[in-house]
This record gives sequence, structure tokens and C-alpha cells, in this order.
Amino acid sequence: MRSEHEVMEDAVAAYLLGAGEPGEAETVRAHLTGCASCRELAARLSRAAAALPLAVEEAAPPGRLRERILAAASAEAPHASAPSPHLPASAPLRLPRRPALVNKRGSERWLPLAAAAVALLAVGVAGGIGVSRATAPNVAAAHYSLNGSGSLQGAAASVVDFRGTGTTLVEFRGLPAAPAGKVYELWLIPNGAKPIAAGVFSPDADGSKVLVLPRDLGGISVMAVTVEQGPAGATQPTQQPELSGSLA
Amino acid sequence: MSARDLRELSDPDLASALASGEVAALGELYDRYGSLAFAVAVRVVGDAGRAEDVVQEAFLKVWRSAARFDAQRGSLRGWLLACVRNRAIDSLRGRGAHEQAELELQPELVATGSGSDPWREVSRSLERSAIQEALSSLPAEQRQAIELAYYGGYTYSEIAEMSRVPLSTVKGRARLALEKLHSYLVGRGMVSDAV
Repeated sequence: MRSEHEVMEDAVAAYLLGAGEPGEAETVRAHLTGCASCRELAARLSRAAAALPLAVEEAAPPGRLRERILAAASAEAPHASAPSPHLPASAPLRLPRRPALVNKRGSERWLPLAAAAVALLAVGVAGGIGVSRATAPNVAAAHYSLNGSGSLQGAAASVVDFRGTGTTLVEFRGLPAAPAGKVYELWLIPNGAKPIAAGVFSPDADGSKVLVLPRDLGGISVMAVTVEQGPAGATQPTQQPELSGSLA
Repeated sequence: MSARDLRELSDPDLASALASGEVAALGELYDRYGSLAFAVAVRVVGDAGRAEDVVQEAFLKVWRSAARFDAQRGSLRGWLLACVRNRAIDSLRGRGAHEQAELELQPELVATGSGSDPWREVSRSLERSAIQEALSSLPAEQRQAIELAYYGGYTYSEIAEMSRVPLSTVKGRARLALEKLHSYLVGRGMVSDAV
């Protein structure tokens, strides 16, 4: 006959594996607070349980998953109330050097905010909005457009700044492939200040691309695109932009 | 903080950056553990599309709750993987996850958690091989008990029913399996024996 304590030790293992019966976890937690030997057992077995997922062969997730997660997080940021040793709570979020938040148009798994954003973009494009502002129901959004010239004559982009969410979407269309070894680079240009690199990208085969920026466009007066040396792009534009638009 | 700076951070420091609301830190966490998280989710739910949703939920859970993370109580990787596993089980079986346990008892193995990308890759590969070897050294019924519990989300009662053995037998097998696995990992210097 097993003792009551031995039964509890088995329950500790079940707790660590998440395999206990309904309600058992609370019993185990309560027991652990008053039983040193079971706490030791839990500490030992938890190391073994924590190793279980590490036996799985890694599998590359679809590229869109990273974009989805970061776009969703951007829509929630800032969430922290505690000051950070790395970044003061009052400091603005820095743009990633690369467009970590890039999504292929038509992805079936957009987060709701991004889906709404794409719908808004579609409305804006269909309505022939140029450099203009519009406010969508429930979501305060400012719309802008970028227009191409020169070698990018046929290119354009629609921009939606979701005010208050820290998220901006830029949808490009009609972009030719960048020359070999080159990439497109997006710039945010504040009033009277140097351009801010907002990431490099290459268009899809159909000339489209959607970028999700984890910031709003406050303080930015112009958005522009140049062709720069790949894969990292430049720290400052090396040519006059042939695709740009005013955000005023 | 630049992407390069983030890459150099230890996991506890990365958790602090997450807690500060730095979106790029979440990208770095994903770059470190996204493939592992996705693999665990696929292993549990058996479907890549569903696994994507599970992984997204888990990363966002860590993102939202990073301020609660305490490196003294567990590892960032362990916490993330516990979130993945629990949400995968929820998705698979409609069972409530064990959130309270997610931030508890998630120890880190000795060999991982910091260092440059190449080191992480090599270290993780060695670690995976060792754990696979440890699992394969267990008697089949013990291994099955912990795998059904961890990856299948089955309770001991359900495993007993499926395996047609008494409940007490399943409990004993699972505990023994974890004890042996722990001893193996200690023997390899992968976990500390200290409590």
C-alpha cells in the first residue's frame, strides 16, 4: 500500500507534466508550500520535464509568422509600466534596421488589425485618394500616398498610419525588381532632420510589398524610397528618391 | 538598442528588454526560439497552420507578461516553451492551460541561454542529441507515459485507460521516467544537481 506522501510525490510529477486531474494542481501547490522533500523532488523533476521540448527537432516556421507576431506586438506597444534597464519608458521605439515586419499581400493569417489596415488601404486605393487623410470607423487612421517618377514612374504606395497604435502600414505596387545586388530602402524624413532608415526590402514578383512599421508617423514630413546597395542598404540615402510622398 | 546589441544579450537581459516594450526584443526572442517553439507546437497539434496560431499566442503571452519574469525562478526559454505547450494542448483538447505553473519551475539547462549565434546552434544541437538519447534509453512504457502526458495533453487517467493499465502504474512510470531523465542530465552535466 502506498503512503499518502508517495501518492503526493506522484501527483508532483503529474503536475510538472501538466497531466494531473482537474483540481489536482491546486492541491499540489498547497502541498509544496509545506513539504520540503516534495519541493526538492519538484525541483529535480522539473529539470527533466523542462528538457522534454528540447528533444524536438527544430522546424522553420513560415516567414509570415514572425511578421504576424511583431505586428500584433507593435499594435499593443507600449505595454510596460516598469522602467527598463535598457530603454527608458519615455524613449521612442527604435525602428528596426531591416523591415522585420514585412508581410506578403494576401497572407491568409493576418492579425485583425492588419486585416483592417489592408481593407482600409483597399478602400483608399479604390477611392483614388492621393495625399489625403481619412478616418476609419473605430480606428483613427491617416492615409497618405507615395508616387513614383523617373525609373519608378509606374510605382506607387499607399500608407496608413494607425494613430495611437504605433503601427503604420505601407503597401507598394508596381515596383520593378531592384537591380542585381541592390535593394529598395524606405526612409522617414522628419522636418529639418536627417532621413531615418526604416528598412530595406525587395518587392514580390508582382511588384507588390506590404511593410508594417512598428511606429506612427508623428514628426515625419516625407516618406521616400531609394535604391541602395544590398543586402543591408545605406545609413543615409545615396540618391534622389524616385518614389516619395508628403505626409503633411 | 540595435539588433546587434540585442543579439548579444543573455536571455534574462532580453527579458528585461521585452519588459521595456521594445518590439525588436521580441523579434530577437523569435529569432532565438521561434523554430523550436514552432516545432513543439507542430508536435503537439500536428498541424502547421494551427501551430502558427499557438506560437503567436505564446510569444504574445511572453511579450505581455515579460515584466513578471524572474530569472531567479526559471528560464526565459523554459517559460516560452511552457506557454507554447500549454496553448497547444488548449488548442488540441480544449483544456485550460496551467498558467500559474508557467512562470514556476522552468529551469534552464546548463549549456544554453547565452553566447553568439553559432555557439547557440552548436550547443542546441548537442543538447537535443543528448536529450533524445536520454529519452530513447528509457523503457518504452515509461517514455510513452511522459510523451502522452506532455505532448498529448492526456491526464494520467486517460493514459491509463488508453494503455489498459492501472492508474497507479501510469503514475509510477511517469515519475520514474522523469527521475531517470534527471539523473541522465545530471550525469551529462546538463543540469545542476543542487536544489
